[in-house]
Amino acid sequence: MDYRNILTVCPYCGAGCGLYLQMLDGEMVGVLPAKEHPVSQGKLCIKGWNAAAFLRHPDRLPRPLIRQGERFQEASWEEALRLVAEQFRRISSRYGPEALGFLASAKCTNEENYLMQKLARAGFKTNNVDHCARLCHAPTVAGLAAAFGSGAMTNSTPEFSQHTRCFLITGSNTTEGHPLIASHILKAKQQGAKLIVIDPRQVQIGRLADIYLCPQPGTDVAWLNGLMYVIITEGLADQQFIQTRTEGFDQLWEVVQQYPPDRVAQITGIPAAQLQTAARMYAQNKPAAIIYAMGITQHTTGTDNVKCIANLAMLTGNLGIAGAGVNPLRGQNNVQGACDMGALPNVYPAYQPVSAPEVKAKLEAAWQVEGLPEQIGLTVVEMIHAAGQGNLRAMYIMAENPLLSDPDIHDARQCLEQLEFLVVQDIFLSETAQLADVVLPGAAWAEKDGTFTATDRRIQRVRKALPPPGEAKADWEIICLLAQRLGLRGFDFAGPAQIMEEVARLAPSYGGVSYERLDREGFLQWPVPSPDHPGTPYLHKEKFTRGLGRFLPVHFQEAAELPDEEYPFILTTGRSIFQFHTGTMTRRSPKLEQEAPEPYIEIHPEDASRLGLKMPGKVRVISRRGQIELTTRFTEQIRPGVVFIPFHYAEAAANALTQAALDPVAKIPEYKVCAVRVEPIGQS
Amino acid sequence: MKENELVEILRGCAARKLPELDGLLGILRTTEGAAPYVFHHCEELAGLVLSPRYPLGGIVRVLQARYPKARLGVVVRACDLRGLVELAKRGQVAPDRLYLLAVACTPEEAQHCRCQRPVPNPTGWPQVEVLGSPAAAAEAHPLLVQNERLGLAERWAFWRQEFAKCIKCYGCRNICPECFCQACALEDPLWVERGILAPPFPTFHLVRAMHMASRCVGCRQCELSCPAHIPLTVLYELLRRDVAEMFGYQAGEDLSAQPPLSLSLTEETTPLPNP
Repeated sequence: MDYRNILTVCPYCGAGCGLYLQMLDGEMVGVLPAKEHPVSQGKLCIKGWNAAAFLRHPDRLPRPLIRQGERFQEASWEEALRLVAEQFRRISSRYGPEALGFLASAKCTNEENYLMQKLARAGFKTNNVDHCARLCHAPTVAGLAAAFGSGAMTNSTPEFSQHTRCFLITGSNTTEGHPLIASHILKAKQQGAKLIVIDPRQVQIGRLADIYLCPQPGTDVAWLNGLMYVIITEGLADQQFIQTRTEGFDQLWEVVQQYPPDRVAQITGIPAAQLQTAARMYAQNKPAAIIYAMGITQHTTGTDNVKCIANLAMLTGNLGIAGAGVNPLRGQNNVQGACDMGALPNVYPAYQPVSAPEVKAKLEAAWQVEGLPEQIGLTVVEMIHAAGQGNLRAMYIMAENPLLSDPDIHDARQCLEQLEFLVVQDIFLSETAQLADVVLPGAAWAEKDGTFTATDRRIQRVRKALPPPGEAKADWEIICLLAQRLGLRGFDFAGPAQIMEEVARLAPSYGGVSYERLDREGFLQWPVPSPDHPGTPYLHKEKFTRGLGRFLPVHFQEAAELPDEEYPFILTTGRSIFQFHTGTMTRRSPKLEQEAPEPYIEIHPEDASRLGLKMPGKVRVISRRGQIELTTRFTEQIRPGVVFIPFHYAEAAANALTQAALDPVAKIPEYKVCAVRVEPIGQS
Repeated sequence: MKENELVEILRGCAARKLPELDGLLGILRTTEGAAPYVFHHCEELAGLVLSPRYPLGGIVRVLQARYPKARLGVVVRACDLRGLVELAKRGQVAPDRLYLLAVACTPEEAQHCRCQRPVPNPTGWPQVEVLGSPAAAAEAHPLLVQNERLGLAERWAFWRQEFAKCIKCYGCRNICPECFCQACALEDPLWVERGILAPPFPTFHLVRAMHMASRCVGCRQCELSCPAHIPLTVLYELLRRDVAEMFGYQAGEDLSAQPPLSLSLTEETTPLPNP
């Protein structure tokens, strides 16, 4: 009777909840919430409770697959790795390293992401390495780095229930997207904190708010400037903070003074009086935390939106104190970590620029290689386009599913089909894996050791509870085996703990991280530069990373594609609490799938009645890029003229409709605004 | 008695008893944290602690299903003991092979939980040893007092507001030691429309509440697991009072008392008393 519990971290969103896997005689018999975990505090959402449900699903890949014409043939590791090594070496020497692309993964551990970018850079001399952070918080990294000098969430989740007096939540469906972060917000609300929600959809957290404002999608810069106008003109700005901690206020005012509430109302549809009330509430209840997610970033003006948020927080002195700050909620369990590890085309681990000669020299010495590339590599969407144009010839995709997650997926598929060679490493045969030449079976989160970094820079251990199915292997192990076959040095690690030792030597903000400390202390929040440093719950105390905080004023610009007569609705996309991203895990978890098994469109009843729609009924939704069919859900919690579709469903993929219009700085696609037409099906 | 003194006494008893048992279920604290664990060796008992509390009744069910013959010891609090009593009545655990080390909660703990029954009451349980000194019942939850004063419409409004926060994690059910059904009414679209957030008011929560009548032993695990901080123990305590009033039944107090809402279709049933 061997009954024990293994402490690990949930594999879904970026909240980083702690959970125990209950093991009886080596078999998993259930999940328990970790009562003493600082974020989840003995609670979980429905996905956390079901986090282990897909691990033994019959669709799990037990052995490598090699394409034979239209079909896959099972193969040995020996055959599969030999083929991958040969093809990558051939394509690299024939077309140059820039013909290779690598996608790391926000689902995999820090150690695995570190190795993936090391393989691309040290092994093949290319910076063409990126991952799905590009599609969620690239504007956050760009915008906040410019304003503060660091692109991460400034504060910590537990501070919300301990210190925060006011929340401004925008573009975050918090109770569905980050349920256990919402738990801290609800606790604070119970204790009297104020809650402002500004979102085109009145999601659950909006229904619980003190003030809910409903802007037209794609008008965030306008209402953010409007809030600042009110705060400055009513004398509510924190003058001392502005004078001692920031620069560029005069330039900010030059721009912001052009956004009086009446003009903002015309652009956004938010009544002037409501905007004023919200501005006062935010400015007068300190510490105030701004919380945002994809609703802010997934725009062609994503970086501008983030800059405005940084401006607003600095204007009111809400930085460098507990419970305040600018808090981007990161979507994946380890998207923060994958960025920290340098799985980005412009930076090495800990955001050290690839273009800096001293960084290059340091990495070349550490990795014992020469000629690391200085040129910034391609981003996710650029890689896909380069594949379509024949400039990218081979791709290695680890645990990502761009054929469902990228914008305009019909185009993405055609591009990937142009590749000479595609390797996909995953736990299931995803839509993307089905296109691969070689599929390498990975181990899932509960089948390997490693670390994840949660949205609040919280580095935590994940622990192996079960062996992977069949011959599947941990991703770090697969990368090491491939690197060894390629004859590369520096990939012979005994295990993830040893990989983290190398990370700690090279990434200054992870300098004090070790498995020994993580096991003892439970978590560490970066920056944690040395073994005796306690870690950093909130950033920019007394001084910004870049010295002074910098106001970066921006003017409102319209979204790339606006509704017209032919496509009269604005489509916005997002999540449901019951599913996750492209559904590879949740749709194979029975208790999750049964809650939301079918793709649906949310539409306002006024629009529905004008179009003669029924509920339940079927509609066809058409954009300039594609069309899908789904079931109707009428709701007054969305603006008339706007429709919402969750992006989890391959059979009615929202991203068949979206466009690859990119933010010019962060290269994120505009998932949150495109123009569509809605037609009833089978109704007279 | 302070918790650390109590833990020392508990470890002593456990060390004495462990050789006679096939395992002792309790909470093990290591450098990584504290979680349920089955102890086999006396050396391990240095890590045996009393808190945090986890729902051990549900784990006993799993262990006994796998090892029906094993002699299992369990470290319980008063509420865990009541929970095991109700599970035994429903055929989910076998009391004759369970040896209980029942620890009385300290006055601070009783106050913290607002527990009305902090002292283990082993009536009818075959093998149980009670440790610690009895604490007095705590004062009732202020929300309970408030709810009793509210009129029907105000009560309705209060709970509507609380349930609007629900994120449908099913944590209240998942953590509940008394919830063991294979098929759960909460997942049946006949009763609760699926995929809606917050779940439909009031069916989701009241269906669960009705199923807890005569079962809920007030262990608070549901409330502690609720991400939305819904005061579920207040709701279930109100229900427990109704059950006590209508049927004279107190869940978990006496192993031989039959729960009024567990009907047998093969035996003659007692009709409800006239109101």
